[in-house]
Order: sequence, then structure tokens, then C-alpha cells
Amino acid sequence: MSIDVHQHLWTPSFVDALRARATPPYLDGWTLILDGEPPYEVNPADHAARDTTGLELALVSLSSPLGIESLPPEEAWPLIDAYHEGALELPEPFGAWAATCHSEIDPDRLAADLDRGFHGLQIPATAAPDDRLLEVLTARDLPLFVHPGPAAAEQDRPGWWPALVPYVQQMHAAWHHFRAVVRPRHPRLRVCFALLAGLAPLHSERLIARGGGRGRVDPDLFVETSSYGPRAIDAIIRELGIDVVVNGSDAPYATAFQDGPGIGPAAAHAIRVTNPRRLLCGDASSAPSPPPARRAAAATFSRMGREE
Amino acid sequence: MSTNLPARTLDRRELRDLVDDLAANPAQWQDQVAFPADGGRHYASLYRDAYVDVWLLCWRPEDDTGWHDHDISSGAVHVVQGGLLECNPRIGGEHLETVVAEGQSFHFGPDHIHRLTGAVDRSVSIHAYSPPLWRLGQYSIDDTGLMRRVSVSYADELRPIDETPASGVMEEVA
Repeated sequence: MSIDVHQHLWTPSFVDALRARATPPYLDGWTLILDGEPPYEVNPADHAARDTTGLELALVSLSSPLGIESLPPEEAWPLIDAYHEGALELPEPFGAWAATCHSEIDPDRLAADLDRGFHGLQIPATAAPDDRLLEVLTARDLPLFVHPGPAAAEQDRPGWWPALVPYVQQMHAAWHHFRAVVRPRHPRLRVCFALLAGLAPLHSERLIARGGGRGRVDPDLFVETSSYGPRAIDAIIRELGIDVVVNGSDAPYATAFQDGPGIGPAAAHAIRVTNPRRLLCGDASSAPSPPPARRAAAATFSRMGREE
Repeated sequence: MSTNLPARTLDRRELRDLVDDLAANPAQWQDQVAFPADGGRHYASLYRDAYVDVWLLCWRPEDDTGWHDHDISSGAVHVVQGGLLECNPRIGGEHLETVVAEGQSFHFGPDHIHRLTGAVDRSVSIHAYSPPLWRLGQYSIDDTGLMRRVSVSYADELRPIDETPASGVMEEVA
């Protein structure tokens, strides 16, 4: 059984909260309206029943590119609360990353939310990782997940542009910021970077050439594989070793890596089972336990995608 | 671990010096030695950076890497407890066998093909590779002397590929 640390699933409570808004980000039916971007037609089926065959745990997270976490607190919290409520009601094998408001930091509220049964905190790569939030995580021995944030709208760009340019650049910046600035302040924090940290670790020769040390691998900085396949994963393994690479799919927008030449069964097992366990629990021998406060509510899940 | 190492790929003799130094400083690895009661193979990554990769491996007599090379990496091994049996293949002839006893080390370049087993129960060795391990070649030699190679990730289990794998247990390897 595998672990997938990166999925998105818009629950009815979250969809309702987006529809309750009249300013971006909001939903008009299933049309997503974001600031400065053309309307985006959400496919309801993407957030309906999802195949979780073979997964012992699938972690969902807030769609950080919507920019919810940077809204003023009175606008951010209703959306975040609705996300939390829906995520906690998802049936097994789902679990979730908590989200928090970054325009006004509230560590006590994060602590209370985490204690409801989240596996850690997700922040947008565009947000400054506030020490007070990170201290809440380390006090609970829970990890941080860094995910792309909003991308500035640009004219005449193909649809894949944000995923290939702004998101990659955001993850690059976050990777280097954590290694250089955050790690010395939070030596025990476990962090996972989405999309293989935008392949930032492959720039180690350039980093070394500019006086950045000798590229020592930090065993508690993990990278997640979504959207990438055997070539990029293999290149990352050459740079960081196998032990920090964890499986993620970014469902419904992308898929997890597939077995094939280059990544053998033991490497795949490390990426899908051993390494995610160490990210989530700090110890590869423990299976991530179901969050204590979660309520089983399969009925809620079966309603999803039928909002129209 | 000391990082007073040159900022470049190390050669086999520099790697030998590194494992010899580490062997003389058990405080840097002693706490990683373990022989789990559940019978799994035990190993620990002691250090990895852009140039060098250092492991501690614990050996039971049944632990057998099978024939393998280290792609572009050179390596060195220091036996700090017990003893290892190193074999080198000789197609159509008798394989070369060398027992490496406690306190001894050996080193090799990327052209080296070998197979390691624990010669003594509860053996422990320290391994260093430069560049850090990435891909390995894994070999089988059949009864007629025909040799085949498969390329595997360094994370993949090193075991004899011409024999039935032991109960599907996943193992990382050096």
C-alpha cells in the first residue's frame, strides 16, 4: 500500500464557501473566477469519486494557487474553515494538510486546527514561512508541505505556462530559502516541497560554484514527485539520494509516477512507502495513524460532484 | 563526520583514507550498528553530499549482494567488526575470493565488479563512494558462464539476480 502526499479535492463545504463569495476567488456554478485571469471551467467530475486503489493514505490540501491564504483574515478564514471541515469528513484513505491565513498570523488557531487531526501544514511557496507557525509544527512533530501559490496572470501564454514557469520558480525560491534561512532557525522541522522543488536541487553545482557549501544532503528536506517521471526522479535521486523522495500525484491535475525502467521495485517502495512515512511520522517504521479527530462520513463524499 | 574533504570527486585512495579515519572514530557510527531481531538487513546512511556518500552496513552470513558494479563511482570499504568475503567474477574459471578481516580495508575503481557476503555473523563495514552512488550494474552468470547485466537504481536491492529473491523483502544497498 502506498502513500500519496499531494492531492486536491474540493468538498461540498469548500465549494459552497467559494460560491458564497462575490469577489475573486469565487465560483459561479463551476466557473472559477480568479483575479486577472480568464474564467476557468472546473470539471465537477475531478472532485467527485476518485480511485484510491492501492493507497493507504492520500493527503488532500487546499488549492494554494487560488490565493486564499493571503486574503484578509475575515475573508480567508471562512474559506479555510470550510476546507478544513470538508477535508476532515473525507473517508479513508484520505487525510489532509491543514491550511492557515498568512495575512495575519494566528499560531493558536493553527495549533487548534492541527489538533483536529491534520497530518501537517501546507503553505504557499509565495508566503513567508513565519517562525511562529513553524514552531507550532515542530512542537507537534508534524511536517510542512510547500506548494505553489498564485501565479501572476500573463497575456498570450499557453495554459501550461503557470505550471512550467511561475510554479517552478516559486519552488526554486522556496527550496533555497528553506535551506539557507529557515533550516538554521528550525533544525528539526521536516519539510516537503511539491513538484521536486521545481528541480532546484539539480542546481547544486551552480550553488557550490557561488559559495553555497558542498551540497550536503539534508535528510529532513523532502521532495514530492507530482507531474514528473523516471528521468527527473532519477536525476533528483542522483543529487539527493533516494531517502528524501516521496510520492505525490497532484490529482486531479496530474498523476503519480509510473513503474518502469530506471526505478526498480526497491526504489519505488522507498518513494511510495518508506520515505512518506518518515516525512509524516519522523520514523519510517510507523504507519501514519488516522488522525484522532476525524469523523468518518462516506456519505458526504458520495455527494461530491453533484452540486449542480 | 569531518568535512575537511576536497570539493571534488575523491579517488579510491582518498576514499580508503576516509573509511580508515572513520573506522578509528567509532563515536561517529557506533550508534548505527544494529542486527534487528526481525531478521531484516540493516544499513545506515552516515553522510551524503555532492561528492561523497558514506554508509554503514551490518552483515549476517545470508546477506549477499550478488555480482555488481558501481557505475561511475569508486569506493572503499573498511571492516570494523567480523569479516567480509569479497568475490570477483572469472567467466569460465574459478571466481576470486578474498576474506577481508576486521581492521582491514580495500578500495576499487569504477571498473570493479564484485560480490560481498558476510564471512562472519554480525559483521560491520563502513563504505564510501565518490561520486555518490546513483546507478549500479547488477550481473548474473549462468552455468555456461554467460553473463548478463541490468542497470538498477542504487536504492534497489542488491541480491543475486540468478537466484530466487528472499521472500520479496525490499532492501537498500551500498
